[in-house]
Amino acid sequence: MTVETIPASRCVCGRVCVPPVPFCPDCGREMTLAAFPGHGQILSFTTLHSPPEGFSSPLHLALVELQGGAHLFCHGSETRGLRLGTRVAVESIDAVYYFSHLGVADRARLFWRRAGASREKVSAILRSAVKRLRHPRGTEP
Amino acid sequence: MPDIRIAGVGMTRFGKRPEPLQALMAEAARAALADAGGERPDAIVVAAMNPEEFVGEGNFASQISTYIGCARTPALRAETATSSGAAAVFSAYTAIAASVYQSVLVVAGEKMTHLSTPKVSELIGRSIDPSERSYGATMPALAALVTRAFTAKHGVSLKEISLVTVKNHGNGARNPFAHFQEEISLEQVMESRMVADPLRLYHCCPISDGAAACLLTAGRGPVRIMGIGQGADYVAIRYRDELTSFRATQAAAEAAYRMAGIGPHQIEVAEVHDAFAPFELITLEDLGIYSPGKAARALVQGETQLDGSLPVNPSGGLKARGHPLGASGVAQVVELYWQLTGRAEGRQVEARVGLAHSIGGLATSNWVTLVERVE
Repeated sequence: MTVETIPASRCVCGRVCVPPVPFCPDCGREMTLAAFPGHGQILSFTTLHSPPEGFSSPLHLALVELQGGAHLFCHGSETRGLRLGTRVAVESIDAVYYFSHLGVADRARLFWRRAGASREKVSAILRSAVKRLRHPRGTEP
Repeated sequence: MPDIRIAGVGMTRFGKRPEPLQALMAEAARAALADAGGERPDAIVVAAMNPEEFVGEGNFASQISTYIGCARTPALRAETATSSGAAAVFSAYTAIAASVYQSVLVVAGEKMTHLSTPKVSELIGRSIDPSERSYGATMPALAALVTRAFTAKHGVSLKEISLVTVKNHGNGARNPFAHFQEEISLEQVMESRMVADPLRLYHCCPISDGAAACLLTAGRGPVRIMGIGQGADYVAIRYRDELTSFRATQAAAEAAYRMAGIGPHQIEVAEVHDAFAPFELITLEDLGIYSPGKAARALVQGETQLDGSLPVNPSGGLKARGHPLGASGVAQVVELYWQLTGRAEGRQVEARVGLAHSIGGLATSNWVTLVERVE
């Protein structure tokens, strides 16, 4: 039971890529589509205090290793209590990945921080909550 | 091994400069040609990471060759992001090694300070993988991810990392060509504004204008290029197995050492790419000079200071000399030339063999160049 399925690509040489790409960056073979469950562990993280245009400050970024070996970038709502190796759930809203190691209120704050109109923010919060209701056990990494 | 030498060098002071980029590059180029005895090169290799966006100029090699007074000399531009200067040295080296030319002028420069910091960050950030960039990843962000993983893996403290800045500013204070010529205290570094946690402002190199040049020849000049190598890695850092070392540096070093027939323990002075302070430590480990996790201790013990057993960044490095992107790879070679020929007044070290190390992008295209004084 997983909260999210992360699309990826896989090569016969063993390389996996998120998001999927047509050619293996290692050996050049064509890759086939694959998917990974949306949980893993923090490889590293940072908080940007002067993020690029279009992002609100502070911007929390993490590099996450999914179970199965693929690495991906995620946004987060905060990094308090986060350490290298912390297990997190990863979910996608509007094709952007978010990591979460905390509760529902924190997740609402995460989506509220997103750039965009209030209506879109509320919509993201609701969709995230609905996903959790549908797959309550999947939220526990 | 071909006998390819450096016959003359020149550079502008780095910093905030009012002149147009062409004028800065002409100042450096003409100084290098005069230093070599006033000769005219067979060809020119120009390096600038992004003159199209930074200063709105295209066909840049031809622009520079005309401006400096060599309009009908064959000229091309080399580019590997922030290591473009080193790529230009390589391009000149291979052209002479193949006997295509007898002498090639390398001239590199960038002009950035007239743009706002967010604009400069965005332009530099375009060398990051597009997917990672779409998450707001900037160079300081990626460097911060590397730094956090590095400190956690090896138990290196932020205080130790901050000592890189203190050392390099101390060296820059003795270099009349440096952007910053004042010393800085450990407290100033540790209390500077947070940029990308755990990296603070004074862990990051400045935005600078400047240019540097050198003349490479077949067999004439006091400094010989012993070896030069390039190493490559994924532009996407999420594809990497290892965050705490740079494969591109390791591969570049291996190629350069093999060409030169020497090893890391024969290096007597090094100019390395400290765009972010922790990169100096990671680099010294990737170069095989210190084993993984041990460079911080060597720094604290003073081994990499001007009077230490292996002076690192006697010029002040990218941190204090400044980092006009494309120019840095050549400025490192200029500093080594001055150090090896006894012309680094105020910061002179005792050395016959030197190493220059340049990082392109977030360590996607790195270069190592080895030079020696010819007895």
